[in-house]
Amino acid sequence: MQSTGRGSVVDVALQGTGLSTAAQLDRVRVLQRLRLGDVAFRHLTRAAAATVLIILGGIIVSLVWGSLPALRAFGVSFLYEEVWNPVTEKFGAIAPIYGTIVTSLIAMLIAVPVGLFIALFLTELCPMWLRRPIGIAIELLAGIPSIIYGIWGLFVFAPFLQQHVQPFLIAVFGEIPILSTLFAGPPYGIGVFTAGLILAIMVLPFITSISRDVFEAVPPVLKEAAYGLGCTTWEVARYVVLPYTRVGVIGGVMLGLGRALGETMAVTFVIGNAHRISGSLLAPGTTISATIANEFTEAVGDLYTSALIALGLILFVITFIVLAIARLLLLRLNARVGA
Amino acid sequence: MSVAAFTVPTVTHSLSKDEELAEKISVRDLDFFYGDNRALKSISVPLYRGKVTAFIGPSGCGKSTLLRILNRMYDLYPNQRATGHVTLDNANILSPSQDLNLLRAKVGMVFQKPTPFPMTIFENIAFGIRLYERLSKSELEDRVKHALERAALWEEVKDKLGANGLSLSGGQQQRLCIARTVAVRPEVILFDEPCSALDPISTAKIEELIDELKDDYTIAIVTHNMQQAARVSDFTAFMYLGELVEFGETTRIFTTPNDRRTQDYITGRFG
Amino acid sequence: MDKSLYASRRRRNGITMALAYAATGFGLSWLVLILAVLLWEGFSGLSLSVFTEMTPPPGSAGGLLNPIVGSLVMTIIAVLIGTPLGIMAGTYMAEYGRYDKLTTVVRFINDILLSAPSIVVGLFVYEVMVAQMGHFSGWAGAVSLAVIVIPVVVRTTEDMLTLVPDTLREAAASIGLPRSLMIQRVAYRAARAGMITGVLLAVARISGETAPLLFTALNNQFWSLNLNAPVSSLPVVIFQFALSPYRDWQKLAWTGALIITLAVLFLSIVARILTAQRKTS
Repeated sequence: MQSTGRGSVVDVALQGTGLSTAAQLDRVRVLQRLRLGDVAFRHLTRAAAATVLIILGGIIVSLVWGSLPALRAFGVSFLYEEVWNPVTEKFGAIAPIYGTIVTSLIAMLIAVPVGLFIALFLTELCPMWLRRPIGIAIELLAGIPSIIYGIWGLFVFAPFLQQHVQPFLIAVFGEIPILSTLFAGPPYGIGVFTAGLILAIMVLPFITSISRDVFEAVPPVLKEAAYGLGCTTWEVARYVVLPYTRVGVIGGVMLGLGRALGETMAVTFVIGNAHRISGSLLAPGTTISATIANEFTEAVGDLYTSALIALGLILFVITFIVLAIARLLLLRLNARVGA
Repeated sequence: MSVAAFTVPTVTHSLSKDEELAEKISVRDLDFFYGDNRALKSISVPLYRGKVTAFIGPSGCGKSTLLRILNRMYDLYPNQRATGHVTLDNANILSPSQDLNLLRAKVGMVFQKPTPFPMTIFENIAFGIRLYERLSKSELEDRVKHALERAALWEEVKDKLGANGLSLSGGQQQRLCIARTVAVRPEVILFDEPCSALDPISTAKIEELIDELKDDYTIAIVTHNMQQAARVSDFTAFMYLGELVEFGETTRIFTTPNDRRTQDYITGRFG
Repeated sequence: MDKSLYASRRRRNGITMALAYAATGFGLSWLVLILAVLLWEGFSGLSLSVFTEMTPPPGSAGGLLNPIVGSLVMTIIAVLIGTPLGIMAGTYMAEYGRYDKLTTVVRFINDILLSAPSIVVGLFVYEVMVAQMGHFSGWAGAVSLAVIVIPVVVRTTEDMLTLVPDTLREAAASIGLPRSLMIQRVAYRAARAGMITGVLLAVARISGETAPLLFTALNNQFWSLNLNAPVSSLPVVIFQFALSPYRDWQKLAWTGALIITLAVLFLSIVARILTAQRKTS
């Protein structure tokens, strides 16, 4: 700190500014007080940032802790056993794991192409005045809580599928090997297939809006150069836009997959909650999140509870990996666009 | 502080008038680094009290960098460091123990683009005053009025002090920023290309203002515009590629520069 | 020029463009279908008694007063816990710690928490609070919602503060403002609209969250504001009533779903208007 009492030099320095030595000292005092506040605020914000890490740590530790009894009782076999019997306290996770993966796959098979085409429409074909309204509509679709999809799926979508779509599928694919197994009757309405469709509708907006954002990041010159060669819109999309944005699109798809894997309510309503792996997609099944949602509060006994928490741990590990890959890919894309 | 022993160098420049020059700020053997990149190379230059010193030179020559050392603005960013001596009233401002906020209250800065705070015109100015002083409402109003008068803005805004600072025109916003700087009662004011975003009329107003302010403040101005440097400054420093090529009275620099590079630049042969 | 090749390219383009139109129509039709059914079913059950009466036992009429109030209370507490924490963390990342290693790590983890399965959050809070306290409680429900609020607010706060130009920070520093005041009085003010948007989006997000409440706040058939006991919430009641065999309950579930959706849409629209204002100013 500069000493203010250094005699003539400082006195001269203060001339012409109307600031007396006393006022100067006042300032020093004010700033010292403010500096305390500054240090406190900095530490406070730092602690808050660390809280984010503590939450993640807390989730991991509590899930591992809670699933220890089940993991100790069943070991690795928990991962591949199909039996799920609360009465005999025998638990295996393969049925919900299978259901989770299959419903998510169905969702992605539908939502990825549709989402990419909508994004293509929004960035290349859509008239300017229509882009914003449609963009907003897609984002509203993303904002609707999953329980709404669930209740709609249960009361409207599942009965519709049961009466009109599933009998048709069963009839059409009945003669074709493999497909006849996948779409073997009877049409329940609810089941793995329905859950996958609902999930597709749910993740569609996510994939669309991320793809649209990365498509829009393509430098216009690149596209113009391709159009200048006489490329059609599709060729520009296929050979310029998609290769350029591949990393970002995959990141967006993984993000959507992460959502689909962890989604609870939309699935719980329509999956049927049956702990078995069926060859048919039309049969009831279950997913990890649906099992937890349906059974957790009714779980009696520590082992039952622990088995459900272990399911949660598996879900968290799977989604963490998928989401981490998604984020890394999107980070890579940002780094490239930023460069 | 050890720097107190640092002697004020004798002034060797000839003076048109018979007056004594005192160094408000002196820069000695100053180096500056962005990471490993040495942006300033042993710069030594004085800023005389009550005078306007202009820094000119082609883009990237380090003139803005130099200015941002004088109030340690570079401290906001990582991997930037300065070595050497910069003294303000014989106290080393590069010292790690220097209170940055106190320094910046003494060494105000006006930026290239107008930077009004997102608040009312009145608040833009009262904000800085209130920070350091506890004033009654009428005293505060007087101080705000005074600052706006010094910045030649009072007549234009006195009826709309409650309006948002961003609602003013570019030139008015820049004068608001000058008023805000003046309100904190600094001793030195740094202008970093203050007119580069302004139209000619606003530019003329700001130049007039700088001329009025120099009686009370020590002023440094970075500018791309050589006519501007010639118009507003008493001393001019020409910088090139991170070095100080030449420093002297503005009239001399613009009439009989010693260095070939200075001459090339002011005659427009490069830059 | 090969005419047939050109024609086939044109044809391929035509087909794919038609697919793009079809895909958009397909995507939007779901929005229309879902909203139409929701409005139809929800409005037919909407009456004053929904907001004045408690959830009924099966087979009799009633309302949704206790879950609505429970949801409001838990949402408010979650926002009160999550917002300051999230804003502080975002502030650190955009201001003090912008160039820190910690910030990079926190940003990465936060982005993962942002889309992590909410049911896992419920399990976490169950383990940490419900299992320790020995009973379900409104507090546990509010905390699990807060855990969902935090990443949303962190993300938007950091983004919005990063958008504040550095020149404004320098200007604040140039009159001697300490960093904390510069942040609180200048940067927050410049980023205000965006930060409020973040909080609104977080509220929209939690107002429909069901999974984390299932085994934290549980449910309560009766009027209760005791946060140390199970508290009713709209999403959990919808879940329970929709899966019940009783027509009255299913009707109320639809009405509850409509209320939530309208609330979420309202919040999104307000958020959108706020960000639009920021862009024009």
